[in-house]
Amino acid sequence: MLTFVGLGLYDERSITIEGRDALADADRVFAEFYTSKLAGATTSDLEAFHDVDIEVRDRVGIERDPEPLFDAARDSSVAVLVAGDPMIATTHVDLRLRATEREIDTRVVHGTTAQTAASSLTGLQNYRFGKATTLPFAYGSGGVPESVLTTVSENHERGLHTLCYLDIEAEREAYMGADDAARRLASAFGEDERFDAGEETLAVAIARAGSPAPTVRADRLSVLSTTDFGDPLHLLVVPGDLHHVEADALEALAGAPEDLIGSYRVR
Amino acid sequence: MGRRKKIVQQCERLMDRPENIRNIAIAAHVDHGKTTLTDNLLAGAGMISDETAGQQLMMDTEEDEQERGITIDAANVSMTHEYGENNHLINLIDTPGHVDFGGDVTRAMRAVDGALVVVDAVEGAMPQTETVVRQALREGVKPALFINKVDRLISELQEGPEEMQRRLLNVINDVNELIRGMTQDMDDVDDWTVSVEEGTVAFGSALYKWGVSMPSMQETGMDFGEIIELEQAGKRRELSERTPLSNVVLDMVCEHFPNPIDAQPRRIPRVWRGDDSLDLAEGMQLVDDEGDLVMMVTDIGIDPHAGEIATGRVFSGTIEMGQELYVSGTAGTNRVQSVGIFMGGEREEVERVPAGNIAAVTGLRNAIAGSTVSSVEMTPFESIEHISEPVITKSVEAQSMDDLPKLIETLRQVSKEDPTIQITINEDTGEHLISGQGELHLEVITQRIERNQGIPVTTGEPIVVFREAIRGASDTVEGMSPNRHNRFYLHAEPLPEEIVEGIQRGEISMDIPELERREALQEAGMDKDTSQNVEHIHGTNILIDDTKGIQHLNETMELVIEGLEEALNDGPLAAEPVQGTLLRLEDARLHEDAIHRGPAQVIPATREAVHRALIDGRIALLEPIQDVRIDVPSEHMGPASGEIQGRRGRVDDMFQEGDLMVVEGVAPVEEMIGFSSDIRSATEGRASWNTENAGFQVMADNLQPDKIREIRERKGMKLELPPAVDYF
Repeated sequence: MLTFVGLGLYDERSITIEGRDALADADRVFAEFYTSKLAGATTSDLEAFHDVDIEVRDRVGIERDPEPLFDAARDSSVAVLVAGDPMIATTHVDLRLRATEREIDTRVVHGTTAQTAASSLTGLQNYRFGKATTLPFAYGSGGVPESVLTTVSENHERGLHTLCYLDIEAEREAYMGADDAARRLASAFGEDERFDAGEETLAVAIARAGSPAPTVRADRLSVLSTTDFGDPLHLLVVPGDLHHVEADALEALAGAPEDLIGSYRVR
Repeated sequence: MGRRKKIVQQCERLMDRPENIRNIAIAAHVDHGKTTLTDNLLAGAGMISDETAGQQLMMDTEEDEQERGITIDAANVSMTHEYGENNHLINLIDTPGHVDFGGDVTRAMRAVDGALVVVDAVEGAMPQTETVVRQALREGVKPALFINKVDRLISELQEGPEEMQRRLLNVINDVNELIRGMTQDMDDVDDWTVSVEEGTVAFGSALYKWGVSMPSMQETGMDFGEIIELEQAGKRRELSERTPLSNVVLDMVCEHFPNPIDAQPRRIPRVWRGDDSLDLAEGMQLVDDEGDLVMMVTDIGIDPHAGEIATGRVFSGTIEMGQELYVSGTAGTNRVQSVGIFMGGEREEVERVPAGNIAAVTGLRNAIAGSTVSSVEMTPFESIEHISEPVITKSVEAQSMDDLPKLIETLRQVSKEDPTIQITINEDTGEHLISGQGELHLEVITQRIERNQGIPVTTGEPIVVFREAIRGASDTVEGMSPNRHNRFYLHAEPLPEEIVEGIQRGEISMDIPELERREALQEAGMDKDTSQNVEHIHGTNILIDDTKGIQHLNETMELVIEGLEEALNDGPLAAEPVQGTLLRLEDARLHEDAIHRGPAQVIPATREAVHRALIDGRIALLEPIQDVRIDVPSEHMGPASGEIQGRRGRVDDMFQEGDLMVVEGVAPVEEMIGFSSDIRSATEGRASWNTENAGFQVMADNLQPDKIREIRERKGMKLELPPAVDYF
């Protein structure tokens, strides 16, 4: 049995009770932290809290050489720990399919994830989000990939919000900050006629979702790009049209400037 | 005022009269006497004394050149010559004759408008003669012929007038055949064949400093009969006084070679592919000394005091101290510190050098041989073409670790001076590889590092550079990214020979306008649709994008190309460069989100697809081969041809030429290592020989597995071949 366990958003306590039980039952526990990670807990924190040994596998160990994991799952109970919800970082669907091909039983134990946290913390409503996208550190010649701009502008046209995941590079412990992301978008929007407001476009920065002290801040990209949001992980939302309750929420919960919000309100 | 100073002043005055300027090169087979001829011309122009001409070897400035008695780097001199009513400024670039230094010859040709082809009367046109004439004609440089060592026909071979005439006509015919073959398809030139009647052929002896041509005979009244008499009587001094070589040759140069004003309108479209409606295009065609500055660097030399000296042809504008100039391929500008002209091995600083001249410039720190230097940003001259790819590699290590940084710096410098040298600096192993045209080429370079820089080095055994190429078309294969969300479908097929040659000559390249590239490809036999979909050219391999409307492929292409280049640089068999492959990207599946199709995904996926396609196309190892020609007395012919056959070589022809037998054949470069000493002992030192790189050839099937294994072992690779290679 191969059980994918979502660790939730922030630290060793973000897991569900069902997840904790699945961990306790497992004969071997693997984990990967290259697609995302818990900002508030180290692997040893997890091991101490759950009283298990965790074998961390890197990208190669999951994508290219998953056989040891499958071998173990053939005749014992194996848990794979992933930050957030295990199937949201898309690679793990593939891992599950490969296990199924090998006739290994699989199961998913959910966790809380950035996608719902973005809604919950900002007050932007879940059903009004369009396609999500990821801002990479470097892509080809750098800058913002055209596909990211297409996604945001298409969502915009339809009045939808865009959730931007921010790149992490596990090997060099680099996590893109919301300020960095805002800076990249500000400069790309400024040179692109699809974005009328350019670097004045409204965006919402979210830092440390799921922690006891998350930060949520709505403002112009130009302002967000010079703001320090503290420790990782961060997210950035580019809102579309705002339902009046959404607008109120951004003002009340995320400190959005009134003059800026006005133009986004749907009347 | 010294004579030299006077000449410099004369040169400076003449620089502003392009109609009186001739930019020329002397090109010939090794040992046919061009350096001696150059000295003659310099002596005639009053630059060195008459007595020492012939022994001084003025142009051989590097110590190793004078030691070896052959010329290695192209060097430059300027001189003046009275012809007709006018004084002329002649800028001369000497070129090396040994094949190992072919890159220098090609570069020199771009700077000149006329090429004086020197052929030894006794040996006749040789393989390297053909190579240099081809190089000249390809660059749109007009040829004239000087047949040297005619004294040997008279005094050594005791030939009579008729025999001599026959022999000389043969040489002329050989050269003309070559010129005709190369120029018949060039619509920008008329008949460029040389002829005695026209005065584009001269004869003589550079050693004894006499020469004749049809016009000179008419002028001096001396005919061949009289020359033979004087030569036979040993009255060479009289001969050279009555019909001095330098006058005859320099008259020919002034009369028959085009001046910059005549040459540039024709040559600029041939050597520069930029927008011809620009002001600077007009400036170059009209040799406008007030136009934008454009200079093409043909050579980088080092002066112990002044540092790097960039030598090149000024096509437009005037170069002066203090100018801020762009150097192609680099950012920002370089400031000109000084400008000058060359007189023998020495540089004379002058205030300015206007369009039409050869200038020697310091301060252009970003320039390499082949750079375009200009006062405005512009399309560079097409990359100078080197037909000759490196075939031999040697490792170089500093004997003392302290010298390491200096060695790396020097190696970089060396490749800057001579682009036919390739340097690979391996940071992991600390082993530096230097690749070049032949054993001698590398030997000379490493000796220079030791002597000029004072860095004691240890060099490894020479290693031959191999290639990998497919033997047939592959099926469409799949390459998958590690996360399995991206898939690429590729097909490989061998590129036709004409297209490969077009790429090697630079006629097909990503640096030229798309329309021209398409035309060139179609002319070389590629169908129209394919030629429109060329996405990338790497080495002699082409990537075709046959996909239609795949979302996100555009922004992924850069990574696809990166993976493709990696795969082609390190072929699947022995990590040797892949050549001559047409790769078609037929389809691709890409993940929606950029993060899931980043470098870590796309590069391995493409690399895998390329290697699979190559293996499916039955990729094989290719080794470099050389044409070999041995001239040997008939009693040593057996051992001489044995030296070729014993080296996995093939003897193609044996024939008598004069009193010698000629053996011609081909052999693998790898087996030719150490040939010089073996042939010497096999023939008691009586043989003279010549080798020329002749491209790459598939290695015999039964030798492949061992050789691949040997290379993999040397490179520290896994010894097992990729599993799908099951055809050996």
